[in-house]
Amino acid sequence: MSQNENQSPETQKEAPKPAAATQPEASKPEPEPMREIITPSNKEVIVIAEQVQGQIQTVTMELLGAGRDLANKLGGKLSCVLLGHNVKEAAQKLIHYGAECVYLADHPELENYRTLPFRRVITDLLQTFNPPPHILLLGSTTTGRDLAPRIAAYFKTGLTADCTELDIGPYEHTNKADPDKLGLYPGCLYAIRPSFGESLKARILGPWNNPQMATTRPGVMIPLHPDTNRTGEIREIPVNLKSEDYRLEIMEIVREAQSAVNLDEADVVVAGGFGLGGSEGFELLKELAACFENGVIGASRKVVDSGWIPYQYQIGQTGKTVRPKVYIACGISGAIQHKVGMQKSGLIIAINKDADAPIFQVAHHGIVGDVFQVVPELIRQLKAGKQLGSSVSQQKTLV
Amino acid sequence: MPSIQNIFVLIKQVPDQSAKAGINPDGTIDRAKAKRMLNPFDRYALQAALHTKQLYGGKVTAISMGPPPAVEILMEAIEHGADMGYLLSDRRLAASDTLATAYALHKVILHLGLPDLIFCGLQTTDGDTAQVGPQIAERLDLPQTSYCEDFRVEDGKLVARRVIEGGYQWVKMAMPAMVTVANSYHHLEYKTIRGARKVQMLLRNEEEKNKVIKTVTLDDVGADPLLCGLKGSPTIVAKTDKVAEIGGSCKVRQGEPTDHMVRDLLQTCNLREFANV
Repeated sequence: MSQNENQSPETQKEAPKPAAATQPEASKPEPEPMREIITPSNKEVIVIAEQVQGQIQTVTMELLGAGRDLANKLGGKLSCVLLGHNVKEAAQKLIHYGAECVYLADHPELENYRTLPFRRVITDLLQTFNPPPHILLLGSTTTGRDLAPRIAAYFKTGLTADCTELDIGPYEHTNKADPDKLGLYPGCLYAIRPSFGESLKARILGPWNNPQMATTRPGVMIPLHPDTNRTGEIREIPVNLKSEDYRLEIMEIVREAQSAVNLDEADVVVAGGFGLGGSEGFELLKELAACFENGVIGASRKVVDSGWIPYQYQIGQTGKTVRPKVYIACGISGAIQHKVGMQKSGLIIAINKDADAPIFQVAHHGIVGDVFQVVPELIRQLKAGKQLGSSVSQQKTLV
Repeated sequence: MPSIQNIFVLIKQVPDQSAKAGINPDGTIDRAKAKRMLNPFDRYALQAALHTKQLYGGKVTAISMGPPPAVEILMEAIEHGADMGYLLSDRRLAASDTLATAYALHKVILHLGLPDLIFCGLQTTDGDTAQVGPQIAERLDLPQTSYCEDFRVEDGKLVARRVIEGGYQWVKMAMPAMVTVANSYHHLEYKTIRGARKVQMLLRNEEEKNKVIKTVTLDDVGADPLLCGLKGSPTIVAKTDKVAEIGGSCKVRQGEPTDHMVRDLLQTCNLREFANV
């Protein structure tokens, strides 16, 4: 459902001009200044951490980086909530990445993420805050996107999904259709996200309730450099689960080999599109990806929808957003929905038969040619280059 | 064989962004002019609902919220095999954000009576938030499985496969429950002949149509207008900016022998830095 269904951007009200001292005030009454409205909060910024088998996920470190900036601007503190089992060491790591306080729930029932127990512990914790925290941040992951809307609905507060930028600033609400909210709100969370196929950037605000919530995409925010000299408080929080929190049990967790579909962390992504002509084409791309130290394959939506490759490989608006060091687009035309998922990559190389394909507008380097000729040649030359390199090193050892 | 009584599937009509019509030069969408379509993610949810009915029985009710033309997607759902359609349509819903939308839809669900299973698409293509399903579940105090890509009913519980980073998990969940369906689930099957005939009949017979597809207002479902629309939404879109086009500096190699073009590419791009062969 739409974040902003039928909403249109509000026009920014012009700042009232100071009336000249000589002018009689009776003819034109001075517009009354906006009343300032401060929604109660303790100015705290809280990041909900994500861990898998005790390993803090990178999106959490990124959120702490973004959260640090917001907390500084608000003059509040940056905290983190960590739920898991045997995760005390991980709690320390969160402090090294900038958290001043870690609310820790260490409990066997919290070992793996489940919606209801996590929701219970976090909402129980947040309810003890009076006034509430100012901002609550989660990652746009299968965990964060599952949990954040539950928390937002519980507190009936605003939540903006998949943000690419976060900031703090004032907001003047002038929409007369909504008279109760008229006023100037300082210190709002600016949750900025792409909309309409990423042709637009929308700034979404919700200063009427706290905490103001947002999720951010992995790979977008910049973490702080970890510093083991940073100190902070680790505060154990209670875990009081109710019987209805056990309505879902995990039977099995399967994580495929790291190299299989770890699009988020790969250095090189070799992505295939409809130009491959069929699922067999991905064998060739796998061969190219295997030429790199940390290379994986990916795909456009059209080939996923055609059933050539599973959804986990999909890059773009309805798939993953990636920013590897190198992105090699093979037979991908480059529809806007695909470009939004990869345009932040370090180096983009496009291989396509069609010289007019839009992918060349976003690529840094391109070859106009048949994927089935260019990719085998690329593999051959990459392998040949290594042979050259290894013979050089052999010579060195001989010397 | 376990049996299911009622299945709800929540669907939305969205602008077709691949069509040129209704796309303003500044990138915004003129919803009145844009081509309309069933949210692509909802096709998976509809398939999940129909599949459940095929295997375990029950009645499939498609529910939508939106302006009157959204009846089109309810018709489409019936063509595919859904039994009933409900459209919540009310001007006071304009400018609803996800929380207000979830409030309104949860009132429709309560009005109809809680089913065994509620399916939603993972997200929509015009909002991309993936929030409404879980927010409805929170309102209804239901367990949920989001990113569901496979499932079966076993001993009165839903056994579901859920996508997670780098893999998947199998969960077992009590019903009633909310399921948001990932697009790694099965594609929506073709319209059924029976469904298509039914819709043909409904289009000719207004009275029958009103029995199968009902349009309801906030008052009909007992929803508080203050919790809907602009007033009920804790977020607003304060500002939109056009995103600057990037790129335009591509060095394209063309019309030369493949080995020359590849050699030139490798000489200008430091790909070998990442190579392990």
